[in-house]
Amino acid sequence: MSVAIDDELWSAIGDPTRRRMLDLLLIDGAGTATSLSEQLPVTRQAVAKHLGVLDRVGLVHVSPAGREMRYRVDDAQLARAVAQLSAVGETWDARLRRIKQIAEAIERGKKN
Amino acid sequence: MEYGSIEREIHVDAAPEVVFEVISSPVHIRQWWTAETEIEPTAGATGELVFGERGTPEAHIAQITVVEAQSPRLFSFRWVHSPGEVATATNSLLVTFELTPAGAGTAVRMTEVGFREVGWEVAVLEEAYREHSTGWDYFVPRIGEYTKQLVSSR
Repeated sequence: MSVAIDDELWSAIGDPTRRRMLDLLLIDGAGTATSLSEQLPVTRQAVAKHLGVLDRVGLVHVSPAGREMRYRVDDAQLARAVAQLSAVGETWDARLRRIKQIAEAIERGKKN
Repeated sequence: MEYGSIEREIHVDAAPEVVFEVISSPVHIRQWWTAETEIEPTAGATGELVFGERGTPEAHIAQITVVEAQSPRLFSFRWVHSPGEVATATNSLLVTFELTPAGAGTAVRMTEVGFREVGWEVAVLEEAYREHSTGWDYFVPRIGEYTKQLVSSR
């Protein structure tokens, strides 16, 4: 699995409301702007806007359901997003390596 | 897989006092975190980590609050809370460095907890950090083969 960081994907799930929406869609299997807005402290219009963002980055699939659109989470894309979190750990590895290099350089300097 | 925390251990061939200084002082944080800061390494101190050049559109600023500073064995802080907010368990990540003498050097144990709540946002910030660390290519392992080697060699 690629761990290349996707800015747009991260921006999409960087918003707490959108993450909550993803949670609800995962729990319920699918949802509409109306069903989601009933479970969230935001308007249906706001939910629809957030769904548009999630759709653009491929985190949800849309299909018509009567007068509304039904949304489902794209499992593969969500997995990809979650996998990127491990990159955070790798970033700490890099920092710790630098801490080690700096401290050891200072230690060597003390002895010389 | 647990996304609630990151844990790392590393041995450093330097005295705990030296390692503590590197981890906690702004002059060294500038080097290992590539962030400008004026944070005081004392409990309760608050400040900012500035990634990139302040005032430019690319700059990212993170808040930091020192939780504990017990030289030379413990340094912990919270970060990524919003400006003006008091750092808490739900709005920030807690990073802890524990230093233990090990032979002539120091065993460093680092943990970062809080990802369950705010992990997504910090990942965005981390990306910003990576973008701004291009001057550190020599040190900064890119995501890819190199980090895989790093992980497998641990």
